[in-house]
Amino acid sequence: MEIKIMKNILDRNQNKAEEVRTMLKAGKVMMVNIISSPGAGKTTLLERTCEALAGKVRIGVIEGDVTTDRDAQRLKKYNIPIVAINTEGGCHLDSHSISKALEHFDLEHIDLLFVENVGNLICPSQFDLGETFKLAVVSTTEGDDKPAKYPMLFSEARAVILNKTDLMPYTNFSIESFMADMAAINPRITVIRASVIKGEGMQTWLEWLGRQIDEFSAG
Amino acid sequence: MHELRIAEDLAAMVAGYAAEAGLNKVVKVNVSFGEYIQIVPELFEAAFSEAARDTVAEGAELDIEIIPAEMRCLGCGSAYIPAGDLCACSFCGSEEIDLIHGKELFVKSIEGG
Repeated sequence: MEIKIMKNILDRNQNKAEEVRTMLKAGKVMMVNIISSPGAGKTTLLERTCEALAGKVRIGVIEGDVTTDRDAQRLKKYNIPIVAINTEGGCHLDSHSISKALEHFDLEHIDLLFVENVGNLICPSQFDLGETFKLAVVSTTEGDDKPAKYPMLFSEARAVILNKTDLMPYTNFSIESFMADMAAINPRITVIRASVIKGEGMQTWLEWLGRQIDEFSAG
Repeated sequence: MHELRIAEDLAAMVAGYAAEAGLNKVVKVNVSFGEYIQIVPELFEAAFSEAARDTVAEGAELDIEIIPAEMRCLGCGSAYIPAGDLCACSFCGSEEIDLIHGKELFVKSIEGG
């Protein structure tokens, strides 16, 4: 006998994500799910952002790391609440691990919560964490074909930081080709060009982030 | 790697629905995956057979239907199949588009007795 089901296999993750989203909305905490390949510059972006917003925005961080807590260690000096999730080999975070991590935060004292997902362009984009939006980080040394090769992440992200633009002269990265693919995959996405390590583009990023916080707290 | 986690969720769902329907053995599981969902069918099959071990669905056949991506243009309203990597409307060229099919990840039905 055949039993009809017609249910989304990710329902369990999705339901928990909606629960997390509702809770964060009520607590006025904006959550940003940062997704990139390993080495694109997620942790450096967080370091620079924590420095720039110290004393202005109350930041918390959830660090997803496969085996170590090195990223969490790098952020300790900013004296912000950090919860490290060691995925023990897992290639992404899911809404259940986020929900458990949130129990360790005093959410009344947080305005902005960054989730540094595991470095990977595929798996993390499948799992809604309950975030306000996804942020993609991609670096010029990875090549200009990443949006075309990984459309799922780029079609869902609200913004992409194109990092390491200072290294562009040493690579075959074509900004025209990158921008054309990006526009075809997600015309609504904001592209922010930056060299995070040199501070270039940080002002644009921080202003854009500030507008997202304003819109989030107004909505 | 995400195949394993999704396969575990599927195996748990199948066991739940089988118990609800009073099935003692599930012989076939029918699923639909969107073209854009980035799951490798061969890996998923292997992951599912591991995840279903020691459950009612152990050894069940997995039938994976791939649903092609389909877009709807918000400019002219046409529905179309995107060509290659690029998604702009093939009728009017507009880039204001919505994906209407391609991200499905459904379990359609289970068969057994």
